[in-house]
Amino acid sequence: MQAEAILARMRSLAREEACAGGPPLHAVSEEHLTALSRETGHGIRDLQILALRHGITPARYLRNGRELSPADQERLLSSRAGLAGLGGLGGHLLESLARMGVGTILVADGDRFEESNLNRQLLSERDTLGMAKTEAARRRAAAINPAVEIRATSQSLDREGFRTLFREVGVVFDGLGGVAVKKLLLECAREMGVPLVTAAVAGWSCIVTTVLPGQPAPPDLFGEEGGAERHLGCLAPAIALAAAVQCSEGALILCGKDPSLAGRMLAADLACGSFEIFEL
Amino acid sequence: MPVITLKCYATLASYGPPGGELAVPESTDLAGLMGMLGIPPGEVKLRFVNGKQAKDDQVLAEGDRVGLFPPVGGG
Repeated sequence: MQAEAILARMRSLAREEACAGGPPLHAVSEEHLTALSRETGHGIRDLQILALRHGITPARYLRNGRELSPADQERLLSSRAGLAGLGGLGGHLLESLARMGVGTILVADGDRFEESNLNRQLLSERDTLGMAKTEAARRRAAAINPAVEIRATSQSLDREGFRTLFREVGVVFDGLGGVAVKKLLLECAREMGVPLVTAAVAGWSCIVTTVLPGQPAPPDLFGEEGGAERHLGCLAPAIALAAAVQCSEGALILCGKDPSLAGRMLAADLACGSFEIFEL
Repeated sequence: MPVITLKCYATLASYGPPGGELAVPESTDLAGLMGMLGIPPGEVKLRFVNGKQAKDDQVLAEGDRVGLFPPVGGG
């Protein structure tokens, strides 16, 4: 079926949704998009993009409101992001990126879930213990948004693996744990000239920063060994906060907007309600 | 004596003064401050004064806001 014919079907299926402060929106449901996909052989992502281009909002994005325009949403759907690590930060990042509709996510993690992950890692459940983290990520993304394609590497990446990842994406999210590997990822981001949104957590505290190509970033941002998390652990709220900020930064970059933490670092200590921004 | 605000993050939290404020002798620099508090220099990875990165020899003035970070890498 040609695009015009698909569009005509979509228009006939769309319903009007009231929109505060503006004209009503035309929305197409998940059910109808799924049926159209089966009928036409076109992927859900392509159909979502076709709808957005022609003033129809996939109903799943209605509550993205005016903060994400149809053009922004299309950019996200057409973009590719890298996600190194699928543990605490990585699981929350995957969840938000899939809900935001980031079209292709290249994920890498060589681990399987174990019980000590359950305190903070969103993809870890009693039922996923022992499962490869990449498999859990694939299942979660498919359950949330079929427009999102997950390309998974089920191994921990080395320098060359990071370089390959950076070659293929518009932004990389750091979901790794451990100062040494985070430092390596940061080095590769700078070498490859690709934006990196990085974060680290210890106990109730977290830091988040965005490293854009050519911008200064301390090479020893995380240190080289002995991260504080080895003593303090990593608590779920600090992880969720850091990942939420990372997701926002990356989404802004993918939408062609300025991230708010380029060259700056957010530091939060949730044990005492402290939020500070530092210049790097 | 200048009064500064000091925030020590993560494993350094126990070195921070109660209430976050601290009077330091005139001409105290960052290295001196860390010495006063008994923080081993190797434990501090990032140091900031008034929101900007600072070196150990930066002399502290009235009202300065100091932030100290250990290595952090959890995810």
